[in-house]
Amino acid sequence: MYGLVALGYHVTWATSRTLNFSQGHVVMVGAVVAYAVHVAAGWPLVIALGVTVIASAAFGLVVERVAVRPFFRTGSPVWLLSTIALGIIVENVAMLTFGKDARAFPSTLALKPVFVLGAGVYPQELLLPVVGVALMGATQLFYHRTFYGRQLKAVAWDSEAAGLMGIDVPRAVAVAYALSAVLAGVAGVLLAPLLNVSPTMGTLIGLKAFAVAIIGGLGSAAGIVVAGFLYGLVEALVAGYVSTGAREIVGFAVVIAMLVVRPWGLGGARPARRV
Amino acid sequence: MSARAGWIAVAVAAAAVPLVTANTYYLYLAMTIGIFVVVAAGLNVLAGLTGQISLGHAGLYAIGAYTAALAATRLGLGFWTALPLAIAVTAVIGAAVALAALRLSGPYLAMVTIAFGIIVEGALVEWVALTGGPGGIFDIPKPAVGGAPLALGRYYWLVAAAAALALVLTRNLARSAWGRALVAVKSSELAAASLGLSAYRVRTAAFTVSAAFAGAGGALFAFLNGYLSPDSFTLQTSILFLLIVLFGGLGTLAGPLVGAAALVLLPEVVRQFVEYRLILYGSLLLLSVYFLPRGVVGALARPRAARPADSGTGVPSLTQDAGDSPPTAGQAGASSAVALALTGVTKAFGGVRAVAGVTLAVRGGTVHSLIGPNGAGKTTLVNLVSGFDVPDGGTIALFDEGIAGRGPAAIARRGVVRTFQTPQLFEELSVLDNVRVGAAGHRLGWLVAALAGFGGDSPATQARARAALDAVGLGDWAATSAADLPFGHRRRLEIARALAAGARVLLLDEPAAGLAPAEVEALDALLSRLRAGGLTVVLVEHHVELVMAISDRVTVLDEGRVIAEGPPAAVQRDPAVVAAYLGTSA
Repeated sequence: MYGLVALGYHVTWATSRTLNFSQGHVVMVGAVVAYAVHVAAGWPLVIALGVTVIASAAFGLVVERVAVRPFFRTGSPVWLLSTIALGIIVENVAMLTFGKDARAFPSTLALKPVFVLGAGVYPQELLLPVVGVALMGATQLFYHRTFYGRQLKAVAWDSEAAGLMGIDVPRAVAVAYALSAVLAGVAGVLLAPLLNVSPTMGTLIGLKAFAVAIIGGLGSAAGIVVAGFLYGLVEALVAGYVSTGAREIVGFAVVIAMLVVRPWGLGGARPARRV
Repeated sequence: MSARAGWIAVAVAAAAVPLVTANTYYLYLAMTIGIFVVVAAGLNVLAGLTGQISLGHAGLYAIGAYTAALAATRLGLGFWTALPLAIAVTAVIGAAVALAALRLSGPYLAMVTIAFGIIVEGALVEWVALTGGPGGIFDIPKPAVGGAPLALGRYYWLVAAAAALALVLTRNLARSAWGRALVAVKSSELAAASLGLSAYRVRTAAFTVSAAFAGAGGALFAFLNGYLSPDSFTLQTSILFLLIVLFGGLGTLAGPLVGAAALVLLPEVVRQFVEYRLILYGSLLLLSVYFLPRGVVGALARPRAARPADSGTGVPSLTQDAGDSPPTAGQAGASSAVALALTGVTKAFGGVRAVAGVTLAVRGGTVHSLIGPNGAGKTTLVNLVSGFDVPDGGTIALFDEGIAGRGPAAIARRGVVRTFQTPQLFEELSVLDNVRVGAAGHRLGWLVAALAGFGGDSPATQARARAALDAVGLGDWAATSAADLPFGHRRRLEIARALAAGARVLLLDEPAAGLAPAEVEALDALLSRLRAGGLTVVLVEHHVELVMAISDRVTVLDEGRVIAEGPPAAVQRDPAVVAAYLGTSA
């Protein structure tokens, strides 16, 4: 599930060498919107999912427009701060409209645990990796088979050349941001029944997903998927054998170690230095 | 209002606070500002001077606070022992983080600092035996002077003094050789490396300094509050610190003060809207990056344009002071020895053999040109010799010492200094300061001395910088900002910087590209004078007239191989050279 959010970092990084640091907040937006439509308004989950996709895509576009495009390729990592700023604002807006407290998101798949290999898990937890892998597959298909996807790949490869070939680079970047946000928003809907919905739920998820993206390699979708599973596994083991609190410490220590040893990630290629 | 008057006004206002009010809450706010000034001043060294962003300063702040609190409660140490201890511990940990993190930049560096902050926060909660867990540490004794505990109003003086000291220290640092080196590394890591200055080392120093400041701020906070809990040290706190610096003005002296005052007081002013506080912070952050790249202070300060006294004269004369010997570390007896020897050097990029077994001897005190068609491997060769690329095979020797495989900074310190096809100047520094960075090189002196205000260049270094500027005829432009320098002069400044850095072998990568004919002539004259002073010059150039006029020897490269070598006249007639340039049918 971190893999899904982390893949969103990869999508924007690959096209524009920028990241949406409020990616975790998109997860929160996804969960909150789904809660509002499904639980509060009582509409079917499918509609809630649809609304969530639209809402998170819109948020992705706003982030790109407001926080990234003005600083695109200025060389300074100012986008890092401006996307954080947007995330903070959204968190506050959610707090004002949704309230500060966490609310449960009922799901028929998270009522009673089933037993797999002796461990109790909710069906919802089993659903996550399935949907996750399916979405990642869909993303890859989008990249390889569709016109838009190929444009994004072209921009990722060499944005200048892509621009000269008539591809609208800013639009491609905007599409990447929307896609990235949709991945995170859907992850939010999937996570909502397991984590409870609250305006502050996003920060940690976003950071962990970022950690996963770094471990996997920002430039490598496959690396990120693998890293997502590994990270979840390590977390579960540490939480099970040491303590829940040690989970974060170990997870982020791994990231630092990774960056020191192999900064380009599991699946990434060592970058060449240009003079 | 002049800057001096402004500072006096701030000092008076700060001094007046405890006289005007005895209200505990107001005093507390004022002290919070003071503590944030200390932390932000340190962060400003990192973010403002070196351009690195840390999102983990709350972690360092926490380490300072908890070290001080534990020293006071467990070890029974007084304030005056606990404070330096906290600073030292935080600086050491900061240095360790920096060593791990600063090989990276951009989002990677952000990740490491965020991860560090979260690990510290997690440890505060989890390591109950040491930190008291979520409940924190209570009953931190009040600092005492002469045995009597300080009242809040008195502690204020201490915090205010610390804030003032923090600003003075960072000002000293910014004005020292260290400060110039920090800005240089931010402007152009490549150029800094070409002058022997390792960006990694300089940034690690900056991070350590900023950690020490954060530690001091944390200790002050612990003694102010009397208790500590993990809530004070979250990612939000790190973002707040960064926001203070950004809003106040990156790299400006008063920035931390303005930012801290604004961000502590603003939420108080709009207290009835407490739910909107995050929106306020987020918007301020957005506004700062949009409209105030240099913060409030930068926006208020009037830009000062320093122009040379005789800006109307165009190209300065280079022949005026032929009697002066250029400031090279020229080897008087070296003119016959081989300065630079390449043997069988190869370098491939993927399947392309950019340099395919080049053997070359450059004699000391000569101008040796490398020419060849585009893609012949000339620039790659310069990169290999200067350490910016590592050869796949072969040896490179500088006065019989092998240098292949060493880093660019290490090679530059041995006396091989290069210039770049596109001049890489330190745009934010003045012309003179550019050269001073070169003159100082990696010899920056003690960091502590720089903080204390004793970080000026030695007279010898200053003289070297001045002499190098005069040697290229830029003496009158010393005070101009490098960013305002006309193109032809930019190349000249790069050469001056290399001379000041103590070049024994100067590698010039297409220095004549884009120069007007008069400027090329001036370059010719300059190179002749440098050679007369004993300098060895390796010239990569397309400008054939210049090459033929100045060179002692010419080596022609094509497709990564040497196809001809000899005196200019002989090379010019060589059939292989003619073929390479004009095609075989010519």
